[in-house]
Amino acid sequence: MIRALTLLLAAMLALPIAAEAQKPIKVGYPMILSGSGALFGEPALKGAQMYVEEINAKGGVLGRKIELIPRDTKGDANEAVRVSRELILKENVDFLVGTLTSAEGPAVSVVAKENKIVFIANIPKTDQLTAPDKLHPYVFRTSANTTMEGRSAAEFVAKWPVTRIATISPDYAYGQDVTKSFVEHIKKLKPSVQIVDQQWPKLGEADYTPFINAQLAKKPEAVFSSLWGGHFVTFVKQARPLGYFEAIKLNFIGVGEAGSPETTKALGAEYPVGITANTYDAFYWTEGPPAQREYNARLSKYLKDEYPNSWAIQGYMGIHVLAEAIKKAGSTDSDKVSKALLGLTVDTPHGKMTIREKDHQATRGLLYGQVVKDAKYPFPILKPIIYVDPARFMD
Amino acid sequence: MPDLSFVFAQALSGLTAAMFLFLIASGLSLIFGVLRVLNFAHGSFYMLGAYGAYQFVHWLGTGPGRFWWAVLLSALGVAVLGGLVERFLFQRLYGKEELYQLLFTYALVLILSDAAKILWGTQQKSVSRPPGLTGALSLFGATIPYYNLFIILLGPAIALGFWFALQRTRAGRFIRAAALDRETLGALGVNVNALYTGVFVLGSFLGGLGGALITPMRSVVPGMDTEVIVEAFVVVVIGGLGSFWGTFLGALIYGQVLSFGILFFPRFSIFSIFALMAAVLIIRPWGLLGKPLK
Repeated sequence: MIRALTLLLAAMLALPIAAEAQKPIKVGYPMILSGSGALFGEPALKGAQMYVEEINAKGGVLGRKIELIPRDTKGDANEAVRVSRELILKENVDFLVGTLTSAEGPAVSVVAKENKIVFIANIPKTDQLTAPDKLHPYVFRTSANTTMEGRSAAEFVAKWPVTRIATISPDYAYGQDVTKSFVEHIKKLKPSVQIVDQQWPKLGEADYTPFINAQLAKKPEAVFSSLWGGHFVTFVKQARPLGYFEAIKLNFIGVGEAGSPETTKALGAEYPVGITANTYDAFYWTEGPPAQREYNARLSKYLKDEYPNSWAIQGYMGIHVLAEAIKKAGSTDSDKVSKALLGLTVDTPHGKMTIREKDHQATRGLLYGQVVKDAKYPFPILKPIIYVDPARFMD
Repeated sequence: MPDLSFVFAQALSGLTAAMFLFLIASGLSLIFGVLRVLNFAHGSFYMLGAYGAYQFVHWLGTGPGRFWWAVLLSALGVAVLGGLVERFLFQRLYGKEELYQLLFTYALVLILSDAAKILWGTQQKSVSRPPGLTGALSLFGATIPYYNLFIILLGPAIALGFWFALQRTRAGRFIRAAALDRETLGALGVNVNALYTGVFVLGSFLGGLGGALITPMRSVVPGMDTEVIVEAFVVVVIGGLGSFWGTFLGALIYGQVLSFGILFFPRFSIFSIFALMAAVLIIRPWGLLGKPLK
């Protein structure tokens, strides 16, 4: 009790000293920080924190520091809504950046609309987030969306000498939407393609064997998969001994960052080298832009990790875009920042990225490659990394 | 009509899943049968078994049989932890309201999941299959990985061993007696507290063993504790809480329903399990082989 009173007194004394103009810009960061999604939410938060530290060291934005306030969404859309409301009402945050899954993003978007607060979704990919009927002035996205990811994957598969194609994707917004985009685009690019099988294990499925058997029984020649993270790792552990990858002659394209260093590291020698996969970022992308290599050098130092994390860039880019918009608006008023975001071009580590006016979607490039072994690293890598500029197939 | 080799492969995959579930659920069911507590933390013991296996494989380096040593050491470690928890914490709650026991095991779930996160971080961990069991066998046109075959054989072996121990040994007789009437057993001069600790240790060992053995087939991630506890509960509810063969039967049914469910309801395979559980609960609320609680 006395301790609490002392704290209260100290807080009351400290308040007037901090000048009103020097109040930090508060940014709420709802993100999965517990459960199995935390292995991606945690590094995304670290990336955002690194950006905030860097910009604050340079004096912040509009002479004010940025204060990042993270909250654990536990990977649950309802919880994401609850913590976002709490961030707005109790913490009085000026903006929201964050969320990870395609269930959380659209849910938090509604909260942003109600409270007229800019929300930048930095990881969710579902098209539904910014679909015409869901779009509102306060929601923006800095990750690619399911149309961009599905179509870019289709462009690769269309070049393979295969016609019997199957899909296996987790049964929720992201898996459904990205698979739909892939299927529609590949049929357009290569009308001879037949979709011979589609499997929909639930999100969080631990036993893929029945799905794998059922898929192999349909004898596909190539497979599109959007299993991601630990689910992809579990899937591979069960698919490899069943001869799955040999049966489709490694004609497998795994999106959802199935080729990220985190995933290849987790599987190590068990990774089905030879398949094609994508990643958010790759520290070993030597032929990439200099800014990307420089970013990874900083991140490596920040995380004290020789092989820095590829999901960190999601948090980094999300908060970076927000900071640039505040600068352009010259204000922290959400209506002004929202207008400033329209058509804003930002110099990201991957190159120039523009937030399109029509759908609030960033022209975010995608990184693909064939997964190969490399003596330089104790885990497989993508080589060479192919940067896909999505501009031509975003609409 | 799907071809027979596919049906066979599907049945075997269901059997593999069933034997894992049996391993895990049998510990849960045993503890309930004797101690009359639903141990929510059983899933946490499974998770620790998996992390432990990863850790020991890492420590043991390249030694021969390191996977098997890691599995054994990890399961034993979990068993010791289970014993300590029972002896020093859980034992204070016997005879108190059941709500306290539930709250305690739930608190344990939260504590252990945080402890795992502090010790191993949030990055996923992976353990390779043991060298002898990396290949696969071709049987009637179906591909059966050796490791799955090993699990399919291990399940019944453990079940039979267990059954033998319960029916034919002195300790087994005490355990059965404790499940029926703990007061009388105590009055007869048996140290019931020690017996309870022993049962808890054994149950935890089974949970840890399940977790350690599953590592070659699943990624080791935070959150695996809560995923498995739901499955294990469904198994024991279908089979009958506290019933040993009921757990075995429940696991078999669960595995096959999951395997073949996806053929009939491709997008709602999990639904078929819950529908089955609901049906069992309506017809026999105490499970297929369970006994109604007095």
